[in-house]
Amino acid sequence: MLAWLAAAAAVALWLLLLAALAVATRNPDVVPVPPTDELAAHSPAIVDLITGHWRLCDEATSATLLDLAARGAVRIEEIGPELSLVRLRRDPGDLKPYERLVYDHVRSLAVDGVVATGALAEGSRNLDRWWKSFRKKVIAEARAQGLSQPRWSRAHAVLLTAAAAIPALAVAVAMTLSDEKHDGGLGAGVVTFGVLVMLMGRLNGERGTRRGAEAAGQWLGVREHLAGTGRFAEQPAASVTIWGRHLAYAAALGLAPRAVTSLPVSVPADDRRAWSDYGGMWHVVNVRYPRRLLWAREPLPMLFYALVAGFFTGFWTWIVLLVLSAVDLWPDALVYPGALALGAAAAGVPLVYAIIDLSGKAGVEGQIVRLRRFQVGKKGDDDPKYAYWCAIDEGRAREVKAYGIGADMWSSLSEGQRVRAHVGRKLGWIDAIEVVGRSRLQGAATYDDTGEQRIDAPENLGEIRIFDTRQE
Amino acid sequence: MITLIVAVVAVLLAFAAVSLYNGLVRKRGAVDNAWAQVDVQLKRRHDLIPNLVETVKGYASHERQALEAVVAARSQAVNAQTPRDQAAAENALSGALKSLFALAEAYPDLKASRNFSELQEELSATENRIAYSRQYYNDAVLTYNNAIQTVPANIIAGMTGFAAREYFQAPGEERGPVQVRF
Repeated sequence: MLAWLAAAAAVALWLLLLAALAVATRNPDVVPVPPTDELAAHSPAIVDLITGHWRLCDEATSATLLDLAARGAVRIEEIGPELSLVRLRRDPGDLKPYERLVYDHVRSLAVDGVVATGALAEGSRNLDRWWKSFRKKVIAEARAQGLSQPRWSRAHAVLLTAAAAIPALAVAVAMTLSDEKHDGGLGAGVVTFGVLVMLMGRLNGERGTRRGAEAAGQWLGVREHLAGTGRFAEQPAASVTIWGRHLAYAAALGLAPRAVTSLPVSVPADDRRAWSDYGGMWHVVNVRYPRRLLWAREPLPMLFYALVAGFFTGFWTWIVLLVLSAVDLWPDALVYPGALALGAAAAGVPLVYAIIDLSGKAGVEGQIVRLRRFQVGKKGDDDPKYAYWCAIDEGRAREVKAYGIGADMWSSLSEGQRVRAHVGRKLGWIDAIEVVGRSRLQGAATYDDTGEQRIDAPENLGEIRIFDTRQE
Repeated sequence: MITLIVAVVAVLLAFAAVSLYNGLVRKRGAVDNAWAQVDVQLKRRHDLIPNLVETVKGYASHERQALEAVVAARSQAVNAQTPRDQAAAENALSGALKSLFALAEAYPDLKASRNFSELQEELSATENRIAYSRQYYNDAVLTYNNAIQTVPANIIAGMTGFAAREYFQAPGEERGPVQVRF
């Protein structure tokens, strides 16, 4: 018992040390200066980081694109109320790494140097990796400018890790003494050590420096000034032609939601509204995923399901009609015909569809615009089942129905590929598919360059609010 | 009681009719708006052409046939009345401009002219914008035309004079993705 008390005390002391260090390393207070129109030399992405409690938001990518437009690397043109274009203008020369990432994304999507703003969410990149890469590049620059630093310095990390060994040892001893077999101590110690180190890691993140806090205060003054001048909330992205870098900074400071949402650079592509460049020009394709009662089904199993459905419908109808005829609500002579008719009706449509699809497939040629899988059945299932979908833009309609496809075929495809498929037109099942052209989006030089993660910049989980005494 | 039921049904029908009518007005407004966007881009293109012709004249004045073809095509495009005529005239203008740019290849001084290259770039950008605004307009027309032809909106449309709109496409052109190459 005494050993356990000692172990608990050791853990409590370690937690106290962690809390004390957390308080000591909290973000510095940011004091906004009076409204000012003086723009410092920081980029909008850096501004987004330091004015958002050193936590980068999605807006940073849109703000970066607006900044590129303001500096002439691209042009944003409004073509319709809901349609704007991003046009590549000239080689922008030296760009910061995260600006290059955004620029290359736009360039990889551009057809004849142009991409519709809505299509910025498209592409074959791994969005998570892309965003991590963007974030780390921004943080690297913020650290280089002395505006940001990791919460735990090397000394903090060593101290906390070394100190964690003490409660871990205490737990190990306590467990060894209380365990009759005396063999659980080592495991308990290792687990305790792991949990404490993990807790330390969870509290890590980016924090501001004194210089960063001063810069943030300056930018909050700019925010006040911009909030009172440009009505940026209503400005479209194309108004960057008029407002220049002010719009980019307004976006980074959360003042230009309309411009930001119209530039979905780091937003996942919509399942139901795809942008396709099939035919040489970006256009919207609405994708439907019909209910799978008579769609996205393999014809052969459908034959079987149809017969089973017909049998059970007929059987239960027969039972019901028998009961009804017993109480003189249904003529005896029509019990069998009635059951047969309903059974045939239930089986008829799927049976005919399956036979039609088995007797011949239609050829479909176009570009894959969506590859999705959705779970079918219960959500919490241990062994979840999925329905696999493939939507192909044939360049003929603004709305397409996604086809069902087998898991093996599905996993070998990627969006943007030009394909030729054999499809059952009635049951919407892809029987065979051949790739006739690779995805244009995979061709960009640095498009897949999202793997280099040189700096350690763990996700900032925010301040520990119970220790944060600042006024929001 | 019957009177009450009839009154309720009449009120519901009136609400439905107003709602359908308003929906059609919004869709028609979207078509007009989309056409305005097309028109802006077309006017921009038409305004650029005289400058282009003057620039080419300075270096290749004896290429009269090509220059006159561009001027005539522009004149037709400016005077076109309906979207269909406009589309045909714009296609002819694009063809004439392509011929003119092909001719420019034979004149190194013209090609090297900054004014010419800027005009060419601007025309190319305008062409691209026209293609997108045309796609946007045609989508708006498709939505509107579908709306006025489907039951029950077609009844309201017939009673209140909503007429189908023309697509911005020349006779023989198929709807669908537009190839943009200039």
